Amino acid sequence: MSETTLDDAAMRRAEGSPLQSTGARRPRFGRDQRKLLIAAGFIAPALVMYAAFVLVPLGMSVFYSLLRWDGIGRWRFVGLRNYLIVLTDPDLLQVIGNAFNLILYFTLIPIALGLAVATVIRGHMAGPFGTITRTVLFLPQVIPLVAAGIAWSWMFASTGLVNQLLTALGLGPLARGWLGDFTFALPAVGMIGAWVLLGLCTMLLVTGIAKIDQSIYEAAELDGAGRWQELVYITIPALRQEIGVCVTVTVIAALASFDIVYIATAGGPGISTMVPGLEIYRLAFAHRQVGLASALAIVLMLLVLLCVLPIQWFARPKR
Amino acid sequence: MKTLEAAGIALSLSVAASTGALAAPSCGTDPVTVSAYFETGFPLAGKLAAEFSNQFPNVKFDIKEDQFANLMENTPRLLAGDAPPDLVRLPSMSDLVANELLKNLDGYYTDFGWDQFPASQLIQLRVEPEGRPRGTGSLYAMGLNYSMTGVFYNKELAAKIGMTSPPTTLAELDAILAKAKAAGITPIIQFNKTNGGLAFPLQDLMGAYGPPEPINDWIFQKDGATIDTPSNLKAAEHLESWVKAGYFAPDTNAIDYFAMMSGFMKGDGLFMFNGDWESGNLDKQMAGKAGFFLMPPAEAGGRHAAMSAPLTYGIGAKAPHADCAAFFLNWVATNPEARKINVEIGGSNPGGPTSLPIPAVAPGSVTEATLAAGSVIAKENGAMDFIANATGAIFSAGWTPELQKLVGGRQTADGLLKAVQKEYEQELSR
Amino acid sequence: MIETRSNALVARAMLIALMAVTLLPFLSMLSAALAPSGSYPAGLQWPSDPQWGNFVKAFEVANMTTLLWSSSLIVGGVVPVSVLIATMAGYGLSRIDKGRGKWLYLVFVLGLTLPFEAVITPLYYEVKALGILNTRVALILPLIGLFMPFSVYWMRAHFLNVPQEIGEAAEVDGASDWKQFWLIQVPIARPAIMSLSILLFLWTWNQFLLPVVLVQDPEQRTMAGALGAFQGQWGTDVPLLCAGALLILTPTVILFLIFQRQFVAALLQGSVKG
Repeated sequence: MSETTLDDAAMRRAEGSPLQSTGARRPRFGRDQRKLLIAAGFIAPALVMYAAFVLVPLGMSVFYSLLRWDGIGRWRFVGLRNYLIVLTDPDLLQVIGNAFNLILYFTLIPIALGLAVATVIRGHMAGPFGTITRTVLFLPQVIPLVAAGIAWSWMFASTGLVNQLLTALGLGPLARGWLGDFTFALPAVGMIGAWVLLGLCTMLLVTGIAKIDQSIYEAAELDGAGRWQELVYITIPALRQEIGVCVTVTVIAALASFDIVYIATAGGPGISTMVPGLEIYRLAFAHRQVGLASALAIVLMLLVLLCVLPIQWFARPKR
Repeated sequence: MKTLEAAGIALSLSVAASTGALAAPSCGTDPVTVSAYFETGFPLAGKLAAEFSNQFPNVKFDIKEDQFANLMENTPRLLAGDAPPDLVRLPSMSDLVANELLKNLDGYYTDFGWDQFPASQLIQLRVEPEGRPRGTGSLYAMGLNYSMTGVFYNKELAAKIGMTSPPTTLAELDAILAKAKAAGITPIIQFNKTNGGLAFPLQDLMGAYGPPEPINDWIFQKDGATIDTPSNLKAAEHLESWVKAGYFAPDTNAIDYFAMMSGFMKGDGLFMFNGDWESGNLDKQMAGKAGFFLMPPAEAGGRHAAMSAPLTYGIGAKAPHADCAAFFLNWVATNPEARKINVEIGGSNPGGPTSLPIPAVAPGSVTEATLAAGSVIAKENGAMDFIANATGAIFSAGWTPELQKLVGGRQTADGLLKAVQKEYEQELSR
Repeated sequence: MIETRSNALVARAMLIALMAVTLLPFLSMLSAALAPSGSYPAGLQWPSDPQWGNFVKAFEVANMTTLLWSSSLIVGGVVPVSVLIATMAGYGLSRIDKGRGKWLYLVFVLGLTLPFEAVITPLYYEVKALGILNTRVALILPLIGLFMPFSVYWMRAHFLNVPQEIGEAAEVDGASDWKQFWLIQVPIARPAIMSLSILLFLWTWNQFLLPVVLVQDPEQRTMAGALGAFQGQWGTDVPLLCAGALLILTPTVILFLIFQRQFVAALLQGSVKG
């Protein structure tokens, strides 16, 4: 049934194109109105769900952020005081700083490694080896982050594989309880994120570089350009969109991280791995400071926007 | 409103009258499923529930378990939710009472005759209506048992360094620690990941340097109480000196509770600051090789003090099977079989009426040592509640991060107490 | 020529190294999962006496069949509805792309970068007020809403690329809008819908924050949420925890291996557009 209709329509489209131009000259007013109305009908269900479970809660978050409320008893309006606390309390500032610190690992490592691999391959990954690579490198994207957290908690444990490898390499003195070490816990959490995002960034960049015209490189090589120059002047500019995507995805993953930290360190030792996402959860549900939690939530949302918008602008496709 | 309540009371009175002269609440005879929220890794509560179902086949338990840190985070939300558990392991009570999330047990106190229990046992479970102070007011929870902390030691390692009897003063303990360190043995294996396990030695040191009463006042949120006292500072400085001397394992911040237990049983450390809830476990898995002593006082012949608190269980304010849960809590303290399980698995004093005997334990066992230590604490009136129970968030927002910093060399003794006191005051001002 | 060949070798070596790093944590978990239950094994060692029984035990204590069923119900509640209403909205938005309706699209885009943490607190109170706390519906409804920005964005991008004439021809033909949408637009959009379904399936299945906050009972949670609860309850036993974690991530990995091509395409495009 549907197929014939589709075919008919397609056929009529081919025949009917001259007809259509005359049709477009019909009175516009009523038609636009009607078009808008119909579109609205199509959009309405999605908008209702979106409004009910995103816009309304977002508005409530803003409202809560102006309150002092334990979530159960009576609330009191305190104006912007919660925001003042978020922006001045040294602990909360460190928590926000930790999230930015994670960007170093979540973003830089996957992109640097991905670029390295992409520039060396400089082409499609074909054949069974390509398939296997793609499959393996995407595994971390498919499993829950919680599982990544559990696996790496075990890797970083005192008796875990990381220490085992260090000892085997004669670097035994470097072995430690990574996730309990003030200096190394945050980098360790960062490495978990890098591990998760590595495959995705690599594949994005490899796919991107395959689209670059090889003759550009050949011409550059004839002009005596070295690898580094090729990377800076050809590859990176050509991949700006792909890199932009990687940066966007990884920066959001770093700033809004929750699952990995929840499982691997619970924010410790001290607050050296505490991130805004986990702090919001704790403040709201364990410490019963719904107002402060909401203020931090709004600040987090704005920070993500502040970071992502410039990236989007830089990576926008050149017209 | 008032009339409705009155009607309710009248109704329940008439029900009581019709079912028999003021029968104590029970689980009845119809099938009941009691929902419970217990702590992971401690089999006592589950074993007691199983035995209870054994004796009362119409009662089933739907048990969810979680680790302590999750428990602290989830309990308020869970109790405020639509399906509050009947029976819940309580990390801390004050905020829960203030938010009217816990059932007031005063009625059951009368019904079950809990006035026969030593009053001191239930002090820590009493809270004033606004949530503070604790230690007086209505009863809001019961203990499954009444546990106590001190120092466990590995007898084989102790023999190696010539420790023949437990230290009787703090100086003697220090000497043993130094000796172990010199012999290449990790002097203290202690957990400090996720939860600040150094709170155990710290509080023991507080008890060694000063009287327990001011510490209890602080935990019970009495007006003007502070943790930042001169004697507590000495205790914290002493702990800091242990850290600096390298008496704790270098990866202490990466050791969680269960890694500590496993390490201690394997012989990875000489001492472990922990509670008698592990006595039964150690008697089984380390039979004859583990010993226990109370933290020695600073001066010879001084008063002993120890963290000693009920294994606190409460009933949700809106719990559907409150009567049955209360009946269970009473049964735990009074039923001979339950008391036996309590001592064998729990390793602690089962509490209950003073007239009931404490079940016998094997001579020479750790359980025997901890039970004996318990009577010393009772005699010297040295029981303190746990400093982590002062407020709902003081452990996760105060003690744990600050103690982790202390071990990591990022916090001083003085800074530790000041930071915790600040967090405490912030929380009370909410 | 020689350089290309050595390049290919270097590339291969790098990829193999990356794959090794990717796989090691799984191997380490597997080796731990085979150690005797309750022990603290070393990072990576083939156990002398592999305890395959740990998997059986983990399967039982984690109640895997119930978990699978629960996650499937949640996915079944989230994905079809999300895809349907997002396809409709994407189509609708593409038709008013140049006009007064453009701001509506911006409203949806606003939510694209929203961290779920930013709304989790009010969501809790909202879901509680609806009386659905601790049920799967408490996950399904909010997830549909939270997935809307991306889904709508995704489908609109697809419809913008469909030549206008297709629709207009049908219009001339007198087909009703609804009929036109179903019979012409949806079949053309099949690849976009397929990719979106895969992405939404993964995101639902692996969602953690919402179940942790909104659903206490692990048997009503998503797989990831259940794994969180499993860690809470059995995290004290490393071999059992590793066995459970491996079991819990198996279903998606199997699906991924079967539909490898589609998954990879969806994930790549998904991130490019998202």
